[in-house]
Amino acid sequence: MSETDAPILDEKVLSNLSSSVDDDRSFVVELIETFLADGPDQLTAIDAARLEDDAEALVRPAHTLKSSSATVGAMRLSATARELETIGRSGALGEGIDEGIARLRLDWRASVDALRAWVAGTGQ
Amino acid sequence: MTRAGVALVVDDSRVNRLVLVRLLSGLGLEVMEAENGAEALELLRATPSAFDVVLLDVLMPELDGYATLEAMKAAEATRHVPVLVVSAVEELDSVVRCIELGATDYLTKPINPRVLQARVSASLSAKHLRDLELEYLEQQRTLTATIERQKTELSRFLSPQISSLISSPEGERLLSGHRRQITVAFCDLRGFTAFAEQADPEEMLGVLGEYHRMIGEAIIDHGGTLEHFAGDGVMVFFNDPVQQDDHVERAVKMAVDMRTQFAVLEAGWRKRGYELGFGVGIAVGYATLGRIGFEGRYDYGAIGNVVILASRLSSQATANQILISQRAAGMVEDLVDVESVGELQIKGLSRPVSASNVLVLR
Repeated sequence: MSETDAPILDEKVLSNLSSSVDDDRSFVVELIETFLADGPDQLTAIDAARLEDDAEALVRPAHTLKSSSATVGAMRLSATARELETIGRSGALGEGIDEGIARLRLDWRASVDALRAWVAGTGQ
Repeated sequence: MTRAGVALVVDDSRVNRLVLVRLLSGLGLEVMEAENGAEALELLRATPSAFDVVLLDVLMPELDGYATLEAMKAAEATRHVPVLVVSAVEELDSVVRCIELGATDYLTKPINPRVLQARVSASLSAKHLRDLELEYLEQQRTLTATIERQKTELSRFLSPQISSLISSPEGERLLSGHRRQITVAFCDLRGFTAFAEQADPEEMLGVLGEYHRMIGEAIIDHGGTLEHFAGDGVMVFFNDPVQQDDHVERAVKMAVDMRTQFAVLEAGWRKRGYELGFGVGIAVGYATLGRIGFEGRYDYGAIGNVVILASRLSSQATANQILISQRAAGMVEDLVDVESVGELQIKGLSRPVSASNVLVLR
């Protein structure tokens, strides 16, 4: 399992998103808040799948996290979630799983910080 | 801008739903949401016609995109709602599977608003066309049903050959007038005028009813075209509008059939004191056929000497005679036994006419 070099936050994604909704910043902020509120559910589900050693149960939360994090530009988190999704699809949770989940947590925290900073920085 | 419509967004991720709902609303669509396939199917089944396009995620809890698509395609009500599959770029193999299952198109995440607009517009146009097509088919169905009903009604008033002629592609050409060799048979009752004078109207109608029923069945059995009924007189012709190589033979066989059936009716009538006889005249020759009459009341008719000759032969026939012109007799000489009745002076024709009485079919 290799570390991804994707950026923690690709601000271009957020600015594209913003321009596609007529620069309605409050919508982008709402989207980020929704992501931050729902992300922990997926992280919990991923932990549960690991505890149960259930590869299939890993696929969906990893997939959802991959997809929603990409929507808000959290590209490194998305890439790591994708790695976990691939592990889940392989049908067996191998050795890399614990390292992957640990990295996912780190990426999550970094994403939260970066998104909050973006909301605080470009706002008002 | 996109034609307004209603979209259903099916995705388990709130973040993804928010984006799609916002972008679709921006395109002027009304948007409804479902968290998974099961919820989506519930909405779709409740009001299938309410949705113009479905944006469907593949991986979802409860019921995934594949199963949702399969269920939609399996039901007539939801089969034609366009489905756009929304998936990540790296999941194109699942998109292929969705398209095989009947999805209209796909979108990759993150959603590009311009691609979304183009795909949704295309789906809405397809849906709109499909709706128009359904509407058109429904109109066609109504129209066809009306025409069928009219044909059925018409066939009660007209000879079956003529009602089918009117509805056939070559109908207009034949109706506008054409010349053809035909065999004409006139039938009427001997003694009917005297009977009509003495009988009650109800009795007379009863007798006519029995007679017409018998005549009608024989005409249909032998494929004749009924030109008209006038009291006890009936004119039938053969070889038009349906062509019949054996038209003379058909006319003679019909007349013999009628004579046999008439004997049965006559026996019953005789018991009631009615003295009626049956006579037929048959001739063959060229006539002009087509629409005859005036706007508001047309008949399909035949005009020509052959009609006059058959009519006159019929008037000259005594009870149970089938008088057949010499020419017609010549055309069926192998089939029937005839006896000559010599030359008859026919009103309207300058020269006397040779005729024979048909005795039996061989």
